[in-house]
Amino acid sequence: MRVSPLVDLSQYLPILIFLVIAAGLSAAFVFLPMGVAHLTGAHNPNAEKLSEYECGFPAFEDPRSQFDVRFYLLAMLFIIFDLEAAFLFPWAVSLDLTGWPGWITMMVFLFELAIGLAYAWKKGALEWE
Amino acid sequence: MELQASLSLIAPEIVLSLSALALLLIGAWGGDKTARMNSIAACIAIAFCFAIVAPRVCAGVGGPDAVAFFGQFKADAFSGFAKLLIYAGSVAALLIAPNYLERVGAMRAEYPVLVILATLGMSIMVSAGDLLTLYIGLELNSLAAYVLAAFVRSDSRSAEAGLKYFVLGALASGILLFGMSLTYGFTGTTNFNAISTVVAGGLSGGAMFGLIFMLVGLAFKISAVPFHMWTPDVYEGAPTPVTAFFASAPKVAAVALLARVALEAFGTQVDAWRQVVVFAALASIIVGALGAIGQKNIKRLLAYSSINNVGFILVGLAAGTAQGAASMLLYLAVYVAMTVGSFVALLMLKNENGDQLESISDLSGLRSVSPVLAFCLMSMMFSLAGIPPFLGFWAKLVVFQAAVDANLVVLALLAIAASVIGAFYYIKIVKVMFFDQPSGVVLGKSDGVHWALLIISTLVISPLGYLATSWFGDLAQRAAATLFLLS
Repeated sequence: MRVSPLVDLSQYLPILIFLVIAAGLSAAFVFLPMGVAHLTGAHNPNAEKLSEYECGFPAFEDPRSQFDVRFYLLAMLFIIFDLEAAFLFPWAVSLDLTGWPGWITMMVFLFELAIGLAYAWKKGALEWE
Repeated sequence: MELQASLSLIAPEIVLSLSALALLLIGAWGGDKTARMNSIAACIAIAFCFAIVAPRVCAGVGGPDAVAFFGQFKADAFSGFAKLLIYAGSVAALLIAPNYLERVGAMRAEYPVLVILATLGMSIMVSAGDLLTLYIGLELNSLAAYVLAAFVRSDSRSAEAGLKYFVLGALASGILLFGMSLTYGFTGTTNFNAISTVVAGGLSGGAMFGLIFMLVGLAFKISAVPFHMWTPDVYEGAPTPVTAFFASAPKVAAVALLARVALEAFGTQVDAWRQVVVFAALASIIVGALGAIGQKNIKRLLAYSSINNVGFILVGLAAGTAQGAASMLLYLAVYVAMTVGSFVALLMLKNENGDQLESISDLSGLRSVSPVLAFCLMSMMFSLAGIPPFLGFWAKLVVFQAAVDANLVVLALLAIAASVIGAFYYIKIVKVMFFDQPSGVVLGKSDGVHWALLIISTLVISPLGYLATSWFGDLAQRAAATLFLLS
């Protein structure tokens, strides 16, 4: 095993150094300005300085607004069925190798997803109002 | 032909998935009033799976006959033994939940479905013969468990427990996946037996990193120190029946899975993982014992107690022998009985309005209010502390025996010494119940099913349990031996 190039860890030393540098740099980017500002800057805030500022206007609304949980529901359903479609392509092109067992397995999978969809539908996850 | 044989080996899993799908539809159309009926149906389905698996465990099935789907799945006696314990824990979680959840107004039709899906995931986990099967089972179990932890949506503590469990569980899954990808990259295979063949000649640095990362991910799941920090918070916040479930069945599954990874995939490199397991075992025993001392809440105390018990189970794994694996299975069996019993006793502590009591001070003088409950809880505490003649003593004995036989005398001695610390808080509870002034808050009536489960688990851990030890020990020996068969 020692002769295989994959096993030689020293080969990965560059990427390790790379990652250490990346981590070090990003830490420096975050903490260095904070430290420098803390040490050199004058710290006397007032209400005007601390107020939010948006393109020259006072902020219209709080940027951290909640959004509707219904978006998440739709997004989750979308991801499930999007991945299902992505899964169907490799299955379709390899059907000559997997044969009937492969076909039946996929039908079982689709049946399970259909039950999930029926559940979501019945629970009203697809209705906006 | 191969497909048919494989399908017959995964019969319990097929039963579980079909019943989960059927109950999901019944729950969606029938509404929450079907929840109680669905729970009973789920119990029947799990009992059916129990009946399928039990003969296979008694026969000690192993080797190539038990391998399904080209090594992806192993329905051997080791996994069967773990499955029986998992099914028992799941049925207990289904039985104790309805009354509790109805009282807090959260009994929904999805509860039994989620418990069955978690059980299915655990069933796949313990039978995994491949890293990918392992991951699918683990995630199926974990995703159902996150929702169960947050099942009482109106309770902020339950929501917090669900979120914490999800974030840390996702982190653990990420670490586990990273380890799996390293293992795959450096061994060229995801099959446990093939990995064991590849690493037999020596563990390369990358494969060792993969092994360590996988151990870290699994240590999260079994809440072994130093990856235990989520346990007290999640156990305290989750609804009590769900906590009883978390402390019993998933623990069995994750420990059995850890044993499979360590002994089957990396069984040829015992020295590589033994040091990690020994550290985790001793740290879990000591931190679990010390952490429990200051606790005021019984659920938090039981969380630390479960961390402490995982330490003893890991002592059995550290032995790295078939005897060690058998001792783990035996400890897990006793542990499930003790955990279910303790949590059922906790569920039975109610004030006159029927609200749950969770604080240790509420236990004071329980002897004069409900002598039977106090006696059962005392048996649980003595058994958890490992005091003879209760069965917990025997469980600790077999684990230490395995460690000593594997020349880990120092580990066994340290673990015995540390178990004395744990005995302090278990005995403190007994003292509060029997010798303190009655607080007089425990007044509520308990349900018949709770009494039945409490009596059953007390009988299991009582000295009567010793009647079954030789038969049960033999069963575990044969189950553990299947882990070492080459297939």
